[in-house]
Amino acid sequence: MTTKTPTKPPQPSALTNLIAASPSTSAPSDPLAASTLQILHNLQHQHLWTSLQTHEIELPVPKKDTPSSSASPPASSPATTTTTTTTTTTQYLISGIPPHHVYIHPDEQLYMLQRGLRETDIELERLFVLPAVQGQSWSLARLAAVFDSLPGGEGRPAASAAAGTDIEGSEGDKAAKLAEYYEYREKASLTKEWGGKRILLAMVDRMMGGDGTVVYYIVQEGAVKPRQN
Amino acid sequence: MNAEPNLPIPISYTAGSYFIFSIDAVTYLRREHHICGVLSGTLPQIPQQNVFLGLPLELMAEEARLLVEKGVACIVDEVNVQTDGMKALMEADRQRYLQELQAQGTQVMQMQASRKEQQREEALKKIEEKKAAQAAKKKASQPPPPPETPATDSTTKDDEAVVGLFAGDRKQQQQQGPDQSSSRRPSTAIASHAMGITPATSHSLLPLEPSAQHKLPLPAVPSSYPLFAHLHSEGYFLSPGLRFGCQYLAYPGDPLRFHSHFLVVSTGWHEELDLMEIIAGGRLGTGVKKGFLIGGADETTSDLESREADDVRTFSIEWAGM
Repeated sequence: MTTKTPTKPPQPSALTNLIAASPSTSAPSDPLAASTLQILHNLQHQHLWTSLQTHEIELPVPKKDTPSSSASPPASSPATTTTTTTTTTTQYLISGIPPHHVYIHPDEQLYMLQRGLRETDIELERLFVLPAVQGQSWSLARLAAVFDSLPGGEGRPAASAAAGTDIEGSEGDKAAKLAEYYEYREKASLTKEWGGKRILLAMVDRMMGGDGTVVYYIVQEGAVKPRQN
Repeated sequence: MNAEPNLPIPISYTAGSYFIFSIDAVTYLRREHHICGVLSGTLPQIPQQNVFLGLPLELMAEEARLLVEKGVACIVDEVNVQTDGMKALMEADRQRYLQELQAQGTQVMQMQASRKEQQREEALKKIEEKKAAQAAKKKASQPPPPPETPATDSTTKDDEAVVGLFAGDRKQQQQQGPDQSSSRRPSTAIASHAMGITPATSHSLLPLEPSAQHKLPLPAVPSSYPLFAHLHSEGYFLSPGLRFGCQYLAYPGDPLRFHSHFLVVSTGWHEELDLMEIIAGGRLGTGVKKGFLIGGADETTSDLESREADDVRTFSIEWAGM
């Protein structure tokens, strides 16, 4: 079929519309803001997360002595490390509530199993997502700064309070066990027995064509034993 | 195996590597200090066999450094110890050592000779018993006489041949071969030859305690050392991570009892981190039921003096499965 009239350009995708229409981002041309929205879109529609929000955090940026030194020598002399952190960059964070538990620590799982608690009995929590783009410059310092900017308890005490009122009516036994679980979880969050702060690292690839794939990795602070071993 | 070695344990520094030659030290370090190292000794004649390796134990520079910092071990310049030790050896000592070797050789020879004698006697006894049994049989049923028990004869000869091979004294053996049944003289002649002994160690020659002049300063370590020390202080056993393409493998207990928990990669505090590496590491780690652990020394406090030794941040990464 030959085209008689100049064809209209195809309708912009829902994602493009979302990015174009987003009032939340301070600078719409910011590529990081756009990929943050892309990840948010993916979380919302592919993984069915709810009550999604974006947050902006300011990260200190060390002055770069050696530009784009991907193969910089590992032995960092003290002279280069005393960089003055004067400038900051904006890093976006997404937070939302997943439809199911994305991560349960193996010891936590054991604790639940011993008490006959199911995953679905436990209230879902707000999880932070760190959007990242392939090719973006990251360092350990930057990752640590992101973790330092996270709230400490991850809203766990609130969850325990909600649980107390919520399930009181149904089964007394289960409610007691749940209360016990929440109490222990609060303690565990202090001792970091069930892992410390955790974040979901979401990465999109904008260099190799960018097929819209978002990969998710759980990043936790400290040495947290793997789930299956 | 509860022998506690004398501290500090000497770690031999040879050709850029750190070795431990004492099995007591090896077991002690593994048991008490969670240092496993890598066994690297093979047989001189079969260097290709690399499955069951033995002493010496090779240590990573990080392990050697950690032990020295703990005061458990000291680094010894092995080449100088050997050459100086040999030079310092007195002539009288040398003679005594050689005599000792000869005495050992003679003793081995005597032991072998007596064993040979014993074997022969046993063989002869067997033959005689058989003969007696056959005679009894003959008396009883009168069967045609069987050939003169060639089997037993040949086996005894074989036994003798083996011993003779070790003794390196074939002539004697051949001489004895034919007339073994008749002559039963004790072979004192063999004992006069001392066997050549090649000592496997130079222990008795060199001083056990390395002198101060042979001790070396702290080993140079890669920049991943703070992370290594941090994980070690948390009770992890660390081994080289070649098998999984990382720097270290972190085991929660003795590697003989546990699977490793982490693939560890160290990175500088401000070193650029390729996100693809995190993904690749996280994916590989999850694929082999481990976590991927990335970490490094926190350099936010630029003052080296005030910085704590254990100021290390680590992050464990796992595939989220979504």
